[in-house]
Amino acid sequence: MSTFRRITSDETSELAITFSSQEAHVLINLTEQLLELLAEGDGQSHQVDPLLHLVGISSADSLPEDPVLRRLLPNAYDDERAAGEFRRYTEHGLREKKKAHALTIYEALLPQDEEWSGDTPLDKGSIEISFPESDAMAWLGGLNDLRLALAVRLGIGAEKGAPTPSEQHQKYELMLESDPMKAVYAVYSWIGWLQQSLLEAITEQS
Amino acid sequence: MALGTVTESESDLDLRADRPWVCVVWDDPVNLMSYVTHVFMVLFGYSKEKATELMLKVHNEGRATVTSGTREEMERDTQRLHEYGLWATVQRDNEF
Repeated sequence: MSTFRRITSDETSELAITFSSQEAHVLINLTEQLLELLAEGDGQSHQVDPLLHLVGISSADSLPEDPVLRRLLPNAYDDERAAGEFRRYTEHGLREKKKAHALTIYEALLPQDEEWSGDTPLDKGSIEISFPESDAMAWLGGLNDLRLALAVRLGIGAEKGAPTPSEQHQKYELMLESDPMKAVYAVYSWIGWLQQSLLEAITEQS
Repeated sequence: MALGTVTESESDLDLRADRPWVCVVWDDPVNLMSYVTHVFMVLFGYSKEKATELMLKVHNEGRATVTSGTREEMERDTQRLHEYGLWATVQRDNEF
C-alpha cells in the first residue's frame, strides 16, 4: 500500500499515489456502483415535471428507500414536513455533487495512455496517478461516501448506542477469514487509511 | 437599494429572523476525526483549534452547533456538510 505524495513546483501543486492493479480495480468498481446508486430513482418517485427537474427541483420529498442512499442523503430537519420540503429543492443537487466527487476519483483511475484497449486497463501490476490539489476535497468527499456506503453494508450505524470504531474493529478482527464481511471490512479500513493519507499529504506543508 | 419600499412590518420580521437558526452536526462513527476537522476548516474557514474543538464536541457529546445565522444560511451550510458526508441538521437556536 502506498501513500499520497504532494508534488509541488513553482506553479502547480499535485497529489500522486501508486495503486496496485487490485487496489485500483476495487476503487473503480466501488465508485461505479456509487455513481449508479446516486443516479437511481433521482426525482423519479412520482410524476416528474421536466421543467422543475431542469432547475433541480424534484418530487422526492421523503427519505430514499435504499439504506445506503438514506445514509448519503440524510434529512436536513427533524420535522418530516420541513425535511421533505427541503429535499424537494436540494436532493437532486446533492446527488449531482456526490456524483461529481465519485467521478473525480473514477476518472483519475482510468489509465490515460493510448495503449489501453479498454479490456484490461491494469494489467501492468500497478498504476501511478496524479491530480491537481484542487481536486483533493472531491477525493476526500468521494472516499467518505464510499466508507459510508460500505458502513451500511457492514451494519456500522450512527445511532445512539452503536458500537464504537474500536469495538467494530475487534469484531471483524475475530471474524473467520472465510467470512465475506471480513473482506468488506478490510476495504472499508483501507479507504479510511487512504483518506487519512490524503489529509496528511495536503496539510503537511500548508 | 430601494429601502423605501420595505414596509415597517417586513423590516421587523427581518430583524427577528436575524440569528435564530443553527446548523448542528451529529456524530457518525464512520467519519474520521481528522476528516471532520478538515471539513470544518475548509467549509467555514475555522482555525485548526476551533475546528478541532467542534469536532471533539461532536465526538464526545454526540452533536455540536457549528454555525448560526439565517435559516437560508443554515440550509446552505447543512447542504454543504451533506455534500461531504457529515450528518447535519437545521434547527431553531432555542430547540436545545
